[in-house]
Amino acid sequence: MAKEKVDKRYVNKVHIHAFDVILVIFFIILSLILIIPMWKVLVDSFDLHTSYGMQLLPSQFGIEGYKQIFTNQTLYRPLLISFFTTITGTLLALTLSTLGGYVLIQYEMPGRNFCANYLLFTMIFNGGMIPTYLVLRAIGLTNTLLVVILFPALNVYNLVLMRNFFEGIPASLFEAAKLDGCTPMGTFIRIVLPLSKAALASIGLMYAVSYWNDYTHYKLYITNSNLYNFQMKLRGMVQGSDLPTVSGNLTENTIKNAAIVVAILPFMILYPFLQDYFVQGVNVGAVKE
Amino acid sequence: MKKEKVELTAEQKARKKEKTRAAIYTHRGFYVMFLPVFIFALIFCYAPMVGVLLAFTDYNGIKAITPEIFVGLENFQKMFSMSGFWTAFWNTLELSVVKLVLTTGFAVIISVLLNEIVSIRFKKVVQTIIYLPHFMSWVVVASLFSLILAPTSNGLVNTFLVQIGVIDSSNMIYFLGSNKWWKPVYYMINLWKETGWQTVIFMATLSGLNTDMYEAAGIDGANRFQKMIYITFPSLTNTILTVIILNLARIMNLFESVFVLQNDAVLSTSNVLETYIYYQSFNSGSIPNYGYTAAVGLFKSIVGAVLVLSCNQLSKKVRDGRGIV
Repeated sequence: MAKEKVDKRYVNKVHIHAFDVILVIFFIILSLILIIPMWKVLVDSFDLHTSYGMQLLPSQFGIEGYKQIFTNQTLYRPLLISFFTTITGTLLALTLSTLGGYVLIQYEMPGRNFCANYLLFTMIFNGGMIPTYLVLRAIGLTNTLLVVILFPALNVYNLVLMRNFFEGIPASLFEAAKLDGCTPMGTFIRIVLPLSKAALASIGLMYAVSYWNDYTHYKLYITNSNLYNFQMKLRGMVQGSDLPTVSGNLTENTIKNAAIVVAILPFMILYPFLQDYFVQGVNVGAVKE
Repeated sequence: MKKEKVELTAEQKARKKEKTRAAIYTHRGFYVMFLPVFIFALIFCYAPMVGVLLAFTDYNGIKAITPEIFVGLENFQKMFSMSGFWTAFWNTLELSVVKLVLTTGFAVIISVLLNEIVSIRFKKVVQTIIYLPHFMSWVVVASLFSLILAPTSNGLVNTFLVQIGVIDSSNMIYFLGSNKWWKPVYYMINLWKETGWQTVIFMATLSGLNTDMYEAAGIDGANRFQKMIYITFPSLTNTILTVIILNLARIMNLFESVFVLQNDAVLSTSNVLETYIYYQSFNSGSIPNYGYTAAVGLFKSIVGAVLVLSCNQLSKKVRDGRGIV
């Protein structure tokens, strides 16, 4: 503890300037600005008092808001749907981007360039909201959970990130596998995937977050409220159209705040352990030189 | 002579064909692996592209798709004469560009300052905190701020303004429902959510910097501010350009962040092309004119494609031949 790790650049001048103090104060204020909105929601979710105002601690502590949410049958379904689509969607999306990325590094494969251009063109031009909606409706995907799992699963940007990562795998490994009689699929499962754990974790987490946070695809393609995920339900609750009946001395705002906390909670618990993977995910593709 | 040459190429062609056939055979496993990706792109990307033909019809979801419904360029004429369309178009540009400039600018300043923090532990804590809002969904962010900005005694910001005497309690400001306040508030919320995460890419560039430069500058008598201005900041210019180009390419796609923060009272200041299409198709009350909204969508896609391609060219120039698509 006494010997804190110090950035190498400043090893030979450890004395502290006034500027260092100003920096620390600046970043403490910045962090507070970022935290206060989240803190406020957390506090208010435990506060049974009607008017919160500038309270930064609950004036009348109680967990009734959470009780309402976790005893409310109509909220189980959206939560389950959120978990289910996040897990299946992430697995599917990862499968597609790794398969695609792996095929794109087969430079001797006839038609490889066609495959690359076929995918890249989708990044340049798209049909737009209405034609997409009409196609999905025509093939019977709207108002099923399939649409929110399948439709976002092909993400060409992440597929290209996977390809960039695969390109770092030494070619000699592929040749050795080929000599040992490995099929392309065998090489993929036994060599490519085990070597890409870091990239799989990073990109998988990105997918998981976007499936968990998905609102747009539900809003556009699902009108049956039995198929809503938690984000849709939360939106309905905060807009006041879909609040569970308030009982006792509980206020509507307490339930709204508690619902927001529940929507962020799974991620908040995991986030400190996963932060490095997220940061890596950005760096895999963007700063690759 | 001529004949011989043709024969030779034919022979070569045959040999080449044979070779390709063999290569296709050895790569057969890869084609199977690409098949799922191919099918997904076909259904979810290419089928809707064919659907843009609807932009030349007056299809409303009920009519059968027959040659009679083709109306030529009528939808586009209608579009260019609608003031709602133009408002949405300019709003799309304004909101995305101002947002991009603000978040990138603040992210650069914060990265340069973050780079000056001596204690690695403190730096790590700050980074953890400032990355956090990026992972919240727009629904959560909108819910959170609609509660904090509420024009009631529940709202944190309004109560604060009353306490310090800027406004009195009968004149609380409805930030998200006022045409005057909506845009600044939208930028503030975007800054809150995305600035921290934007620093990731700049911090990565800075961590790759050669420390020799700082030492050399130190020997030459440069102080910390001079080092920041003459070494740290210039080393970021390439990354700044990359970030701007990458984001510029997709500014036409602005939807969710605007959609969850807007309401009927501020439609004229907040509508962007995607939300305009949404309301015209699904919330207009009457029978939807899919033909017209598909035309707006096609216009949006074409502008988007032009942007992507020009950003790609720009990127190749700036980043030694590396494109973005």
